[in-house]
Amino acid sequence: MSEDTTPVTYTPASSPCPTCGEPIAPDANFCESCGTQLGDVTEADAQADARAAQPSPDSGVLPISLPTFMLADNASAPPRRTCTECGGTIGPDLYCEQCGTKAPSERDHFREVPASWVAGVCDRGVRRRRNEDALALVASETPGERCVLIVMDGVSSSTDSDVASLAGARAARDRLATSIPRGLGTPESRESAVHQAITDAAEAAQAAIVAHTESASANPASATFTCVVLESEPEGPVAWVGNLGDSRAYWFPDVGEPLQLTRDDSAAEALIDAGAPREVAYGDHQSHAITAWLGRDSEDTQPRIRRHQITEDGWLLACSDGLWNYAVEVGDLAAALRATVAEAGGDPEAVALGLVTWACEQGGHDNVTVAVARVGAPVVVGETGADEENVTDERASEE
Amino acid sequence: MAQFSATVYQNEFLPAGGTDVNAIVTVTCVGAGVAGQTGAGDAGEIIIIDTSGSMGDVRMEQAKQAAQAALAEIVDGTYFAVVSGNGAAFLAYPHVRSGPGMVRMNPQTRQEAARAIAMLTSGGGTAIGTWLDLAGKLFYSVPQVIQRHAILLTDGENNESPAVLDAAIRRATGVFQVDARGVGTDWRVDEVRRIATNLLGTVDIAPENAARMSEEFRSIMRSAMARGVAEAELRVWTPVGAQILFVRQVSPTVEDLTSRRRPVNELTGAYPTGAWADESRDYHVAVRLAAKAVGQEQLAARVQLVIHDQVQTQALVKAKWSDDHNLTAAIDEQVAHYTGQTELAAAIQEGLKAKALGDDATATAKLGRAVQLAQQTGNEEATAKLRKVVEVEDADAGTVRLKKAVDKADEMALDTASTKTTRIRKDG
Repeated sequence: MSEDTTPVTYTPASSPCPTCGEPIAPDANFCESCGTQLGDVTEADAQADARAAQPSPDSGVLPISLPTFMLADNASAPPRRTCTECGGTIGPDLYCEQCGTKAPSERDHFREVPASWVAGVCDRGVRRRRNEDALALVASETPGERCVLIVMDGVSSSTDSDVASLAGARAARDRLATSIPRGLGTPESRESAVHQAITDAAEAAQAAIVAHTESASANPASATFTCVVLESEPEGPVAWVGNLGDSRAYWFPDVGEPLQLTRDDSAAEALIDAGAPREVAYGDHQSHAITAWLGRDSEDTQPRIRRHQITEDGWLLACSDGLWNYAVEVGDLAAALRATVAEAGGDPEAVALGLVTWACEQGGHDNVTVAVARVGAPVVVGETGADEENVTDERASEE
Repeated sequence: MAQFSATVYQNEFLPAGGTDVNAIVTVTCVGAGVAGQTGAGDAGEIIIIDTSGSMGDVRMEQAKQAAQAALAEIVDGTYFAVVSGNGAAFLAYPHVRSGPGMVRMNPQTRQEAARAIAMLTSGGGTAIGTWLDLAGKLFYSVPQVIQRHAILLTDGENNESPAVLDAAIRRATGVFQVDARGVGTDWRVDEVRRIATNLLGTVDIAPENAARMSEEFRSIMRSAMARGVAEAELRVWTPVGAQILFVRQVSPTVEDLTSRRRPVNELTGAYPTGAWADESRDYHVAVRLAAKAVGQEQLAARVQLVIHDQVQTQALVKAKWSDDHNLTAAIDEQVAHYTGQTELAAAIQEGLKAKALGDDATATAKLGRAVQLAQQTGNEEATAKLRKVVEVEDADAGTVRLKKAVDKADEMALDTASTKTTRIRKDG
């Protein structure tokens, strides 16, 4: 058995009840104790699976990523959440006890931090009533070794796409949780193995979405699908990207040209193919219509797959259109990322959260999901920040 | 054990830039039990009868019968006393000079008290402040009495200066509750209303008929004995930076509670509600917030019913900013209804005041508005009472003429009834 097929565990983003810590029945949609809406009927199952997949101490195998949440069997009280607006305490009624801001439900705002170098934030945004985006991540403990970023964007006109998208993202992640086989060792067989794995992941997501769709639904749940798999190849780290719809993946090297790794399956791109200028295509109010998706009414579930060899240090980023709507061109998003890193520092969770916050500040018209992986040396925090602080201090002393 | 529940009626949607949130919170109590019998502490009742000279033989006899009727309703085991008042207050029963000024009700004390009431005679002036002060002293003399209530009957204008009476009311506030009744037409509605409002009770004009006055007193005492929850307060939490525009009880009567706020902490104020029976009360809470972006949601108020710092029930008043005009334009039916009823009470009181001052133009306009509001909000009692004071030309338009000759008692009945509100059906 090669190293690459080592069984792994992953981190489901759930604890008993995210709000009050009480046990949740396997098929509960709401917490019986505090009424918190639970995003996904399969959360408890996923947790049980994860617990079962925990290696026994003497099995000799170790997970490549460790759970960041305790899979709490103990009934210890969870820490009370704090308000995202003012830092006040969230009351048992799920509103801040200071400023009254409604605390987002676990489905409306959740984060995954599977390792120190990979993080994602999935947020309702400002305008939408619920969060139909979904996010699921896997990462090795060793920075840069292996990670999977899955971002899906449930289509708001369809029924229950919030439930379906999360189930789909987790199913795809589970399928990609273990390393993809090397194949026969040739680039061609490796490529075909990766294509098969990503296609399987998309099919797993498709099966999960269909499973969460009422058979009689006239408006079946549907979602975009974007996955990024970073693996170490003999020639160095390689990002494999699969895509259906208009969620995107990017490579942002610290030095050099940023690169959009995905091409949208959208009306805008179809117009560009037909010869329309980019500005015209993206200015069209129909430009957001997608031409490929997952769901019971999908015509083609085969994602477009691309390989990108990574030669520099930088950021891999996967996001929903809730982010890139405010930076359609790759250069604009690179600038937003640079500004976020300068302000928030190099911690991936802070970077992902910073970009989500930025999108919300731009209007937050759609759900916003951002997943990032730092490849190469961590960003050293403080140099630019410290300089700026000094500048501020000097200004203050001059006054 | 009493169970409280709370329901909110509001349109939580605000337009972009909207700041004011209005909500009606209905608080309902069931299983209140009997006053003084729930194990929480003893109940005390004091019957205060005006024995001033103006009462005369006929009214004195009516008052004595009414007091006997009230006495009969006091449950055995309840501490009680009878006070007779004119220019000073006298303890008519129990017959003590010092020590505890109230005794427990039992067949013997009931008989003794009945004899004491029968011996009351009229004479002297009216100094209601002294009556309240004596009642306070009596309640304080029996510390185990935690639920304190008095019935007060008067027939005349108070001889004390308003400042003296107000001081006595202040001393009684938070100590005991008073249901006050005026008999005849020589008493001042505003004066007696001041007593009842501050001491969390009701005010009305008592019928000048022994049987009907007795029925009224029986009913007051029966209600008092049904209040098994001795004391509760309404607490309103608002977020940092918010402003409470007002907190009003709007049913069964309109009472503005805004100025009675006792701060609990920086964000929470408590308003006294007195004792509770099995009943529902409606509160109108209006809060001004800083506007948030469209799509944001926040809590505008937590409205709680609290007994001894224990939250019994809580209702959440919310604000959600939306750019959907269909959502933001609607005014909640309950909020609209009670806003109308509150305006109705004010229009009646202001109209009668203007009429008393001879300002017929203002009186006609205000009472006309009152007729219109009573019609719109379906307040039939107010409509009936208004018709005894004004000739209605067009109720929908609110055009009225002041009647030439009006029975003073009808005017006073309209005044005392002005704060009584009607309910409308609540869906869902």
